[in-house]
Amino acid sequence: MKKVISIMLVLVLTFSLAACGKDKNNAKNTSTSTDKTETTETTDKTETTTPEEPKKPVSINVTTTYAGNDGNAQNFQDAVKAWEKETGNKVNDSSATSDETFKARVLADFEAGAEPDVLFFFNGVDSNTLIEGNKVVSIDEIRAEYPDYASNMKDAMMGASPVDGKNYSVPVNGYWEGMFVNKTVIEAAGVKMPDATTTWDEFLDICQKIKDAGFTPIAASLATVPHYWFEYSIYNFSETGKHNTLAKEVSDKQGEAWFNGLSDIKDLYEKGFFPDNTLTGTDDDTVQAFIEGKSAFLIDGSWKVGGIEGLTDKVDDFTVTYVPGKNARKSTDIIGGLSSGYYITRKAWDDPDKRAAAVDFITYMTRDELVSQFAQYSATALKNGVTVDESQLSSLAQEGIKMAAGATSMTGALQDLIPTECRVPVFDGMPNLVSGTVDIKDAIQQVLDLLAAR
Amino acid sequence: MSKSGKRKKPSIGKMIAYVFLSLWAITTLYPLVWVVINAFKDRRLILTDSFTIPVGAKATLDNFRLAFNKLNILGAYKNSLIISCTVMFVVMLFAGFAAFALVRYHFRGKQFLYNLVIAGMMFPIFSTIIPVFRMMNSWGIVNTESTALSLMATALPQIAGNMSFAIVVLIGYIKSLPIDLEEAAYIEGCNVYKIYFKVVVPLTKPSFATVAIFTFLWSYNDLFTQMFTLRLKNQWAITRLLGELTSMEGTNYGLMASAVTLVIIPVLIIYLCLQKYIVKGLTAGALKG
Amino acid sequence: MNSNIYKKKTPIFVFLIPAFIFMTIFLYYPFIRNIVNSFQSITGLGTAAKGFNEPWYANYKTMIEDPNMRIAIKNTIIMIIATLVGQVGMALLLALLVDNIGRGKKFFQTVYFLPIVISATALGLLFNLIFLYDKGMLNQFLEILGFSGLIDWKDQHHAMMTLLIPVMWQYVGFYFVILITGLNTISEELYEAAVVDGATKLQQVFYISIPLLRNVVCTCIILAVTGALKVFDLPWIMFPKGMPVNSTFLTGTYMYYQTFNSNNVDYGSAIAVVIVVLGIILSKVANKLFKEKDY
Repeated sequence: MKKVISIMLVLVLTFSLAACGKDKNNAKNTSTSTDKTETTETTDKTETTTPEEPKKPVSINVTTTYAGNDGNAQNFQDAVKAWEKETGNKVNDSSATSDETFKARVLADFEAGAEPDVLFFFNGVDSNTLIEGNKVVSIDEIRAEYPDYASNMKDAMMGASPVDGKNYSVPVNGYWEGMFVNKTVIEAAGVKMPDATTTWDEFLDICQKIKDAGFTPIAASLATVPHYWFEYSIYNFSETGKHNTLAKEVSDKQGEAWFNGLSDIKDLYEKGFFPDNTLTGTDDDTVQAFIEGKSAFLIDGSWKVGGIEGLTDKVDDFTVTYVPGKNARKSTDIIGGLSSGYYITRKAWDDPDKRAAAVDFITYMTRDELVSQFAQYSATALKNGVTVDESQLSSLAQEGIKMAAGATSMTGALQDLIPTECRVPVFDGMPNLVSGTVDIKDAIQQVLDLLAAR
Repeated sequence: MSKSGKRKKPSIGKMIAYVFLSLWAITTLYPLVWVVINAFKDRRLILTDSFTIPVGAKATLDNFRLAFNKLNILGAYKNSLIISCTVMFVVMLFAGFAAFALVRYHFRGKQFLYNLVIAGMMFPIFSTIIPVFRMMNSWGIVNTESTALSLMATALPQIAGNMSFAIVVLIGYIKSLPIDLEEAAYIEGCNVYKIYFKVVVPLTKPSFATVAIFTFLWSYNDLFTQMFTLRLKNQWAITRLLGELTSMEGTNYGLMASAVTLVIIPVLIIYLCLQKYIVKGLTAGALKG
Repeated sequence: MNSNIYKKKTPIFVFLIPAFIFMTIFLYYPFIRNIVNSFQSITGLGTAAKGFNEPWYANYKTMIEDPNMRIAIKNTIIMIIATLVGQVGMALLLALLVDNIGRGKKFFQTVYFLPIVISATALGLLFNLIFLYDKGMLNQFLEILGFSGLIDWKDQHHAMMTLLIPVMWQYVGFYFVILITGLNTISEELYEAAVVDGATKLQQVFYISIPLLRNVVCTCIILAVTGALKVFDLPWIMFPKGMPVNSTFLTGTYMYYQTFNSNNVDYGSAIAVVIVVLGIILSKVANKLFKEKDY
């Protein structure tokens, strides 16, 4: 046994070493062969299509978040290949799943001067250092030279930087936040399905009835993901369209809205509408309970459409609708937007070889056709809107498109204006707020202090 | 095998020992079994029905198929083995040296160096990675298209990171070694280097094997460094590749279980291979010889 | 005292330099940077400092008053005790038993190693499913036994226990392998001589195995103490962000939380410094208590 295994190991090692040596040659071979194809391609091109000066093949470094299990990872790779084939250029793709480590890596790259040429990254406060450090090029500056750049997008929706209100990135697929419903629970509890006209008070009524019927009305892990409830309950108290402005002090209008919104969450908690383990369970736990028909409602982002499709066989049992509104906010005023986009870095822009290639790459990746393919049921900034073949989509995704289309307004998320470290008192501290161990006004003050200290 | 262990019939004490050891064995074996059976299940079943064995309609190879179809798994194994074996060998060589010197020699500042080694075990990678990354970037070994350089950039900080652990463990073993053998060799005219390689290393072979296993394991599982050093897909090591596959929301647990299974295999092979060095009786043999 | 062999000091350099070059470049230099960082203001891992804090030791001052840090230290001390008793103690017991049985030695040696191999993500998921509120393995089991009402294993009363058990269990195998290696380096002749003298199995364990294992046990204790100070992955996966209500923070997870979730990198660096200082002090204490011996 021992011998067999050690022989196996030796084999594996020799194989790997041999493969390693071979691979180097292979790599060389393939690189030369691609070089060849590239040159032939470009010559083809000069002969047939472009009468201008023959372009040298360029290799650009691209970093995106289209990787891992991201629904668009494959779409992205296909699109990159197609672009490489069309232009003869080469893409060094160092995309990775977006998480805290990824953000740190991207920022460290910029700090060390090792940034990519094209970056697909967040356009909220996460990008502030890039803009403050003049590391990326604004759309205006690009348009001075390429007037048609991103001309298929609505400028107002492209996701202006919180630093100076200018556009720097070209978005692809965005998000909306809505209320997912497990219809089996609604039927079992014999209550009315919430829709665009349902008011907050009616919603509370429905929740009470669901609770009386022995179900949990709302699936949410306030301990780990209070984000969506934070957004909508505050939106219920702020003016339409002015939701994503920061409060200056606790007593001003936005500060009041924060207080009332957070008090509403506390109210829901005290009424027992959240799961018993909402302060201890993870989001995975509560979502699973929602899928299994233990709870009725789940506020989440458009990405959850894919999540639910993956978690259940009976996707038809689920639908998505508006979060019931209160005060000035109509239920159909929803939260959504485009939180990331393609940037051209200053480094690539100042490199005469790479400038055109980077512009061309982004233009290619943000064509109507590709954006539609990437976005499907989520939001976009396209002037012409998306063209999707709805028959290919699940009933839930179709409901999502319908909901987004029926929205009377779409406002960006408030939290995108608040850097992660400043959210702590109200996000990570949410269990303290709803259980009453920390005063809500104190927590808001802490957030404002943190914001001021920046 | 201990001859003295095989006396007469099994006693009651021995029975109890076996029962106790077996119970613990069940707790350690079960999670592996759990991972493997879930690797053959549909992602939807894992959260609702994770503690049963998949048979018939419940069993599926989809998870593995997905992993193998989408990804260059063999290439990633190769990268992993290159990185982790390099780390393993360099650490064994240099940590062995350092541990030997710190045990056998007496010199000023020894205690200080020992404290440095202990401190080195506790530096969180999160607080050292950024300077390391900048340094390696200025050397031009990260962020390149060259696979060999990227693999090296992964191995270097890992070597340093595992060094202190290896030194601490080896010190513990070398200290327990009777010095008589080294003296005998010295009288026969060996110099210190010869003594180290011909006497000390053979006598502490089991401890080197132990250090090798853990060094390999930690290097192999270190996703964080890889996140910074391995950028392009053909440079990815297996943990990076499968980590990327199983990340993201709506976590695909079936895929995760199959990924874990695929990740475990090489480590188990390495462990089983090295385990034969962790056996009894080496000292005795050496003393006789 | 040592014999003549080790009188000549020049080989020291040859032996020590390679290892310390590696550690200086990739550990000590970066960590000095980390110490400097702990006095500065940094709001994102990877971003440059915005200048020094006012006063420069502000982070350390905050830390003294930080209730979460107090929780983290308290929990870490619990963790250290649990590790010493539960991991090293258990591992020693298992190693001594395995060493003294005849058949099956190899099997146990292999099987006990397994938990270390399985990634924390997978173990985290497994334990989450075992401890799941509605209804994990444990609560289902209690239901079968006739208990009514679900127990929330992750609430404030149970959280630390729910956290400690998997962590302790996972690393027993690690110390087991180290200890069994130590036992195997003990000369067989000593046992043979003891048998000739009529010593029982138990006497052999207490008069040969344990005393000769002393140095290795001491190593294990140092590893356990330092390990508990920086333990991170499994606790973080089971109890992210110190939940529930910040009650499960450990020094390792709190450092990560401040660095990545709160983007308070300088404060995270300060915690890292404290971790290292505590680690050195505690391992000194351990060394004093269980004095290592040269032979």
